[in-house]
Amino acid sequence: MGMLKFQTVERDSFFTRLDFRPKLLMMTIITIVAFVWESPLLEFALAAVILVTALLVGVKFSYVRLVISVMVPFYILLLLTHGFFNIDQVKALTDKSALTPIFTFPENWWLIGGGMMSWEGFLYGLNVIFKTLTLTLIIPLGIFTTDVDTMIIGMVRAHIPYKIAFIFSATLRFFPLLFQEINTIIEAQRLRGLAMEKMGPIKRGRVYAKVAVPLILGAMVKSQHLEVVLQSKAFSGTPERTYLHESVLKLPDYLLMAFLLLFFIIAVVLYFTFRVGAFGGPI
Amino acid sequence: MRGSGAHLDMKNGKGDRMSDVIATLENVSYKYPRSQDFVLSNISLDICRGEFLGVIGPTGAGKTTFCLTLNGIVPQFYGGRFFGSIKVAGMDTLDHQISAMAGHVGEVFEDPETQLISTSVENEIAFALENLMIPREEILARIPQVLSAVRLEGTEKKHPAELSGGQKQRLAIAAALAVQPDILVLDEPTSQLDPVGSQEVFATVCELNRGLGMTIVMASHAAEEMAEYANRLILLSKGELISMGSADEIYSQIELLKENDLRPPQVASTFYSLSQKKVYLSKTPVRMSEGIEVLKEVRQKCEIHSQKSFDSTVSYSGSSVLSVKDLKHVYPDGTEALHGISMEIKEGEYVLIIGQNGAGKSTLVKHFLNLLKPTQGKVEVGGVSTEKLSVSQLARRIGYVAQNPDSQIFNATVQDEVSFALKNLGYEAEEVERRTNEALDSMGLMEMREKHPLSLPKGDRARVVIAAILAMEPEIIIFDEPTTGQDYRGARYILEISRKLHNMGKTVIVITHHLYLMPEYAERVLVMGKGTLLLDTSIRQAYHDIDLLRSTYLTPPQAVLLAHALSELEGQKLPAILTPEELASCFTCNGDGGSHGNA
Repeated sequence: MGMLKFQTVERDSFFTRLDFRPKLLMMTIITIVAFVWESPLLEFALAAVILVTALLVGVKFSYVRLVISVMVPFYILLLLTHGFFNIDQVKALTDKSALTPIFTFPENWWLIGGGMMSWEGFLYGLNVIFKTLTLTLIIPLGIFTTDVDTMIIGMVRAHIPYKIAFIFSATLRFFPLLFQEINTIIEAQRLRGLAMEKMGPIKRGRVYAKVAVPLILGAMVKSQHLEVVLQSKAFSGTPERTYLHESVLKLPDYLLMAFLLLFFIIAVVLYFTFRVGAFGGPI
Repeated sequence: MRGSGAHLDMKNGKGDRMSDVIATLENVSYKYPRSQDFVLSNISLDICRGEFLGVIGPTGAGKTTFCLTLNGIVPQFYGGRFFGSIKVAGMDTLDHQISAMAGHVGEVFEDPETQLISTSVENEIAFALENLMIPREEILARIPQVLSAVRLEGTEKKHPAELSGGQKQRLAIAAALAVQPDILVLDEPTSQLDPVGSQEVFATVCELNRGLGMTIVMASHAAEEMAEYANRLILLSKGELISMGSADEIYSQIELLKENDLRPPQVASTFYSLSQKKVYLSKTPVRMSEGIEVLKEVRQKCEIHSQKSFDSTVSYSGSSVLSVKDLKHVYPDGTEALHGISMEIKEGEYVLIIGQNGAGKSTLVKHFLNLLKPTQGKVEVGGVSTEKLSVSQLARRIGYVAQNPDSQIFNATVQDEVSFALKNLGYEAEEVERRTNEALDSMGLMEMREKHPLSLPKGDRARVVIAAILAMEPEIIIFDEPTTGQDYRGARYILEISRKLHNMGKTVIVITHHLYLMPEYAERVLVMGKGTLLLDTSIRQAYHDIDLLRSTYLTPPQAVLLAHALSELEGQKLPAILTPEELASCFTCNGDGGSHGNA
């Protein structure tokens, strides 16, 4: 019954009042730093700062919980693979000839006998987990705190082609319709005797695959219709157009951008000079 | 045939304004790429500034293509073969880009969902203006102006999805108006709307035309409204302009309309039926107000049978197949959609459920199918509580035909589509084959069994879905808005199938806003409003409870309104008439009295 819309934060804050350009810069810098760092401690600190900021500016805890719960199986897999199998890379990064065992499976166990989980591999796994958590949370922090109009105009002012900005906006408009259509189709299948509640994941997957046929055909019809609508509204995709909304950088925007650039420079300098942030580095 | 609206000038008191031609079509013919036939054939026409030109014709007549030629989308976007020329505001649609034409021709399309492309009302209005390089200050000035013109003030920041269907179409009109076009073209703008939304759109368009002098071109199947508002109509058939004239001239040619599968306004049908009984009328009225005046004339000449009776009883002694007791439903967002509904449907009944959007019709039906669970109360199907039945178990007993057949088609052949449910329900291969063949046969789909369902015309696709449901041999079949978006022929076609199923002993439930279509089919009516059951009675009694229908924004068919007007004129209660033919049958005339009008 409720209207389908993309999530936006309800709380007005310093972050929601910012222009989209400093946020774009924030997403870019944090993404680069998170990729470059391999220190579990610094990755944890970065993830924690992003998480706390996201919660403070109004990203719902239920959303964060959902993201983390979806990621948990992936995180466990990361810990196991890095703990048990990431031996050569970790040895090279730490300059160690032997890794510190956390535990070893008895030799006589079938298939996994003799397998050892190393402390260094475990730490490397944690680094990857916090890295992905940062990358996952930086998007809602930047996107959910920005009105779509501000986002579009911010993208255009940041010299992203208008066509791409428009596709982004149209996606936000039409995705909810697409989800509505998926629900209608699955509902229609259930009404034709499909007992989804009794199905395993593979059978369910097949059902979802069947949804694709009417969905894609419907989407094709809709996209042609959308093209006609756009043409009738004088849309040509060229950047030569005026804008209803303005994008003006204010003092807080400049301050945030300055802080981010400073942070980036310090992080790069420390990384390359003192190996701060590197795996096996001082921190 | 070539036509101009100039001859209407004096009649409508719009002399100078309407004699000024704003668009000219010269021998226009058009064929889509890969199409065998011309969709438009040799059309010549002048459209005058300030006129309301109605475009009527059955599905496939070329109405949409006609609308799309006016801003150059046909042929510039679609390609194909185009002959002749079209000039709008002095600009040839072949010589100017569509984006340039968009500044002169505003287009409003059928589907309110897919024509709104922005994430807020103000952005929607601003979009075309931004593309046309209108300065920001000017855009800011025009937004409140056009929102006020369509009565949507205060909605600037809203997401289009937050608006009702009628509001969405009014927003589409506002967005088209913002570019200050010379012509506003509307292609079936009300076909997807409920009566309230439809009234909102027609009232807005009428205000723009009569108040602001905006030139309107509108394609629509809404005969009563077109008769009321259009200055001139053109009738298209197989791409040809076969008739043109005022609404009075066109809608009084009942035979011509019938030949083209079009429905005249019921007022016109009523007086046409009377003329068949040799009642001579000065004219065949096409609007309600004129109809009442002519009715007074007819009373002088004819005798009225006030005692004539029509069957109005609904008595079914069969067992209960569906029962609802004190049903209440509250959605997770707190919306109370149903408030203590109680009712019972017996085996073999044909029940019509009516009410405005949001009245609770679909919510009620979803409880029958277990797609929604009662917040309070009980729903029983065949004496068993739906709590104990899964959706798939209920699907064996209740077939559900949704409005859009395309969202119910998942298979590559008609045969697979029809057998889809049977395989899900675990029937043996022989039984699947038997039931599939029976269902295909009963819907006349045997010849098409190997075809892809989506390659068939819309009416046939609906038949495939119905066959797929019939294969499950349900006792109850629910049609949810089966006539929305269909022309008269398409709507009648589906309703004839519902009649056939009813004759086969099935219990049929239909939800529709098109009250005028139902007297021949439904026996019992449930009127819903704001989540409550306002009335549960025979169709005759329900349709004549005019005040109650209006309280839930429904308008009874014109034949019912005319019967009421006649009752008032006579000062006595007349039988509960439902159709133009029934109303005509109440008169006995001698056959003298003046010249025969237009009929």
